[in-house]
Amino acid sequence: MDGAFRKINIDLLEEDVLLPSDLYDPDPRGVEGVLADAKNRSGEVRGLVSKGDIASALNVILTDCPYGEDVDEAKDITTSALLLILNSTRSTDISNLVKGLSGDHQDRLMAYLYKGMANLGEKSEISGSVLLSWHEKLTEVAGVGCIVRVMTDRRIV
Amino acid sequence: MSVAPEVHQLSIGPLTAAAFSPDRSQLATCANNNDVLIYNKTQDGWDLSATLSEHDKLITAISWAPRTNRIVTCSQDRNAYVWTREPSGEWKPALVLLRINRAATCVKWSPNEDKFAVGSGARTIAVCSFDEENNWWVSKHLKKPLRSTVLSIDWHPNNVLIAAGSADAKARVFSAFIKGIDAKPQPSAWGEKLPFNTVCGEFNSPNGGWVHDVAFSPSGDALAFASHDASITVVYPAGPGEPPAAIQTIRSISLPYVSLSFLTETSLVAAGHDCQPVLFQGGADGWVMTKSLDDPNATKSLTPQATGAARAEGSVGRLNTVAFNRFKQADTRGQSSSSSSGGSGGGLSGAPGQTATGELKTVHQNTITHVDAYEWKNDGAVGKIFTIGKDGRLAVWNV
Repeated sequence: MDGAFRKINIDLLEEDVLLPSDLYDPDPRGVEGVLADAKNRSGEVRGLVSKGDIASALNVILTDCPYGEDVDEAKDITTSALLLILNSTRSTDISNLVKGLSGDHQDRLMAYLYKGMANLGEKSEISGSVLLSWHEKLTEVAGVGCIVRVMTDRRIV
Repeated sequence: MSVAPEVHQLSIGPLTAAAFSPDRSQLATCANNNDVLIYNKTQDGWDLSATLSEHDKLITAISWAPRTNRIVTCSQDRNAYVWTREPSGEWKPALVLLRINRAATCVKWSPNEDKFAVGSGARTIAVCSFDEENNWWVSKHLKKPLRSTVLSIDWHPNNVLIAAGSADAKARVFSAFIKGIDAKPQPSAWGEKLPFNTVCGEFNSPNGGWVHDVAFSPSGDALAFASHDASITVVYPAGPGEPPAAIQTIRSISLPYVSLSFLTETSLVAAGHDCQPVLFQGGADGWVMTKSLDDPNATKSLTPQATGAARAEGSVGRLNTVAFNRFKQADTRGQSSSSSSGGSGGGLSGAPGQTATGELKTVHQNTITHVDAYEWKNDGAVGKIFTIGKDGRLAVWNV
C-alpha cells in the first residue's frame, strides 16, 4: 500500500501552526543584552579560572545561559568559556564541583556536555575524554533525570 | 510498615487504562486494544465478566463514577461512550457528541458526576453534560489558549474548575462552568467570577517537558503536575489575578513520572518510566521525595510474584527480556549463555536493577501507566493505591 500520504505535514495546512519558539518564553534581556552579558561573564570566567576558582567560574557561566534563536555569537562565547573551565579542571575535583551545583545549573551543564559531544572534532578545544568524565560524574549525582531534562528542553544552548 | 503489594497479571501486553467500581469488586481496564474488559474480583484474583465493544480504536482512558455507577470511556476513534448498567446486568452504551477531529486522550467524571471532561489531540477539552430534552450527552469546548494535545485532566472539588496538562509543556486551570447544571461556585484561591473558559492559571513545566498528568489536592487549593522533564511541580495560587504564592519543583534523578495522585493535602504518589511508585511530601515551602514503595536497591523480602492468571515469562510488555540479554551478551562479549553475568545490578542512578534472568527488580516490569487511590482511611487520607503498567500487571500497594 502506498504510504506517501503519511509524509504530508498536515500541520502546515492549519492556520494555527505551533512553532518551536512558541514552546518557550523569550529571553527578557533581548539579543543585544544577551550578547553583552555573555561577553561579561566570559571575561569574568577567564579571571576566575586563572585564579583557580573553578567552582565560582562554573556558577557564573551557568547562570542565565543564552538560549533560543538569533543569539549564536553569545552561545559561542559561552560555550568556549565553559569548555575552558571543563578543560582546566583536575579530574579528581569534578565530583565535588558537580555536587556543589544547584539543580538548574546541573541541567545546564549537562546540556553543554551534550552540545560539546555533538560538535566533537569541530573545535580543537573540545576533548571527548574530558566531556565523558564530566558526563559520568554528573550522571552519578543528577541521575538519568538530568539527561531527560536536557532532551526535553526547548531552550537550546 | 508496608506489606507486600497485591499483584495480578491481567494481560500479556500493556494496560492503557483502568478504573475500579465504587465497591472495588469490579475493575474496568483495557488491554491495549478497542475493548473494555470488566473483571470481577474472586478469592484468588480477577475473572473476566464482560467485554464492552463499541470503540473502533485503542481506548485511552476509563472513568468510573463512584456514586452513580456509570462508566465513561474514550478512545483514539474520537468518541466517548457512557455505559450504564441495566437491571439485567448488561452494560448499555450511549454515544457522546464530542465534535473533535483528533483522538480523545483522557476522560474524567466531575465530583458531582453530572459532567465529565474529555481531553483530545484537537487542542480541545470537551466538557460534556446530559441534555434531558434530547436524551443525549452534549459537549462544550474549551479551546483557548491550548496550543497542543491535552494529555490529562483533573477536576477541582467544586465541580467547576478543571486542570489540564498539555503537550505544549503547560498545565492550565480553566473554568468549566455549565449554566443550568452548576450553581455559582464559592470564590476560591483560583478566582471569584468564573464564566466558562476563564483561564485561572497557566504554569510552565521547568524544563519544557510535556505535561503527563495533573492533579488537584483534596482541598483543591494546590495543583501538582508531572512532566516529561523528570520533574514534579506543585503550585499554590495566591488569588485571582495575582502570581502564585509558591511554585515548588522537584527534579527527579530517575526517569519521568507519567501519573500522579494526591494522598493527603501534604503528600502525593507518582509513578512512571522508572517502574516504581514513589512518595513525596511537602507544602507551600517545599516538597521532597520521601521513599519509593518498591525500591529495587533495598534488601527486601517481597518478591515480584504475580498471582492470578499465570502467563509465560518474557511477555511482550517487558522492558528487558531474557532473549534481549542473551543477544546482548553474544554481541558484546561473544558469550552464548546469559547465565554468567546477567544482572547489571542497578548501577546507574535512577535505572531499576535487573536480576540474572533479565527481570527488573521492581514489581512492575515496564512503565507504570496509571496510579490512583484505591482505598481511603477513616480520616480521609488514602490508605491504598493501585498501579497498572505496560507489563500488563495490576498492583495494589499500602502507603
